[in-house]
Amino acid sequence: MEFKFPDELKYLQTHEWVRIEDNIATVGITDYAQHQLGDIVYIELPEIGTIVEKGSNVAEIESVKAVGELVMPLSGKIIEINTDLSDKPESVNSSPYGTGWMIRIEFNNVSEIDDLLTVEAYKEVVEAEKK
Amino acid sequence: MVDFAGFSMPVQYESIIKEHEEVRTKAGVFDVSHMGEFLLEGNDVIDFLQYIMVNDLKLLEPSKGQYSCMCYENGTVVDDLVYYEEAFDRFRMIVNAGNIEKDFQWLNEHIGDKDVKITNLSSKRCRLAFQGPKSDDYLQPLVDIDLSTINRFYFAHCKLNGMPIFIARTGYTGERGFEISFDNEYAEKIWDELIKTGASPAGLGARDSLRLEATYSLYGHEINDSITPVEAGLFWLVKPKPDNEYIGKKILIEQKTKGTDRIIVGLNLLDRGVIRDNFKIYKDGAEIGYVTSGGYSPTLKKTIGLGLIKKQFKAEGTELEIQIRNKLLKGVVVSTPFYRNV
Repeated sequence: MEFKFPDELKYLQTHEWVRIEDNIATVGITDYAQHQLGDIVYIELPEIGTIVEKGSNVAEIESVKAVGELVMPLSGKIIEINTDLSDKPESVNSSPYGTGWMIRIEFNNVSEIDDLLTVEAYKEVVEAEKK
Repeated sequence: MVDFAGFSMPVQYESIIKEHEEVRTKAGVFDVSHMGEFLLEGNDVIDFLQYIMVNDLKLLEPSKGQYSCMCYENGTVVDDLVYYEEAFDRFRMIVNAGNIEKDFQWLNEHIGDKDVKITNLSSKRCRLAFQGPKSDDYLQPLVDIDLSTINRFYFAHCKLNGMPIFIARTGYTGERGFEISFDNEYAEKIWDELIKTGASPAGLGARDSLRLEATYSLYGHEINDSITPVEAGLFWLVKPKPDNEYIGKKILIEQKTKGTDRIIVGLNLLDRGVIRDNFKIYKDGAEIGYVTSGGYSPTLKKTIGLGLIKKQFKAEGTELEIQIRNKLLKGVVVSTPFYRNV
């Protein structure tokens, strides 16, 4: 099975992706993560304005067979959530990096970006897990 | 792939929801070769089973199968299974994968001086389930028997493209369909032939979501060695059998007459979320039971579940709370089955 991992994104060991634009980070789960979870049927996202810390779990991603988490890559404040996922949680399966994005945070500590994985490093994480 | 009772098995081939929908609208093929298959032979097989099983063998006839439970003396369940009467002295039995050794031992321990010999064919034969509204149409061209002559729970021996099979009109999906078994050597060929009919391969995930919608008990969940068939709602299965003693009879008949302190009920969630096995159930803050099976229903497009709860809360419409991790979500007792098309 071939998974897509866009080069321009940053990643977490726990299978989230991060797109950084200025001081805003968009976060979702990777193609590998959506495949591992299988058909996603319900996603509970946090409220806008929630202050989050790097490493904390802020969402529940329910698939037919399991429940997954969304771990925060950076500390900051949630400024937007993808409300379309309420009716179309399957977008995360079909378009994990597009319409399946989950939250946007305004981050407050630029140095935390250094801890994120590059696409190469993340691919190694996935390869190791597949074994 | 997951480890299931020692077998490496696919939870899904592509998507649980897609496989589930294929079975509800067309047909799906499940590899259920992990399940056990015994042959019971001898002049006393019927007497023997009448003593071991809660269902009544008098309702059976040659070419017919019967679903049943075998129970411990205290009424809890050793296993639930199906046996088929090939002749008065020859029965085929299909048991749960995780219970093969326990069942084989349990049966043998109770033979006593009866004329019964049990052969474990589990590793010599493979089993497939072919289920869905189109299963008759898809399968008919492959077999040398008129499938319409096999009624529900009846079976036959016939050939599938020349290969000998046992075929029964039984299933675990809530759709019409068949379960077949055959010698290992034909496994790949028969699988390929069935897939060529247009049926989709379906994995363990769809098998579970389909049986939950159809509200069929799953050993280890609704029934196990600490739950009786009466508590599991299988009242109809426990027969009075006035002329026969059977293991567990005293307690089970008493439970059937007087009722039990706890009972399995259907559950829906009023809040959004998915309930899963072993989540705790509360009423006004007091714990009243737990979820035995829960999940998302692809047909009904909502969360469904079964829960073992205190009997005073079993009435349909009773609102209760189900603990999902650190939250209490609102649920309600509903009638079952959630869906059945047989």
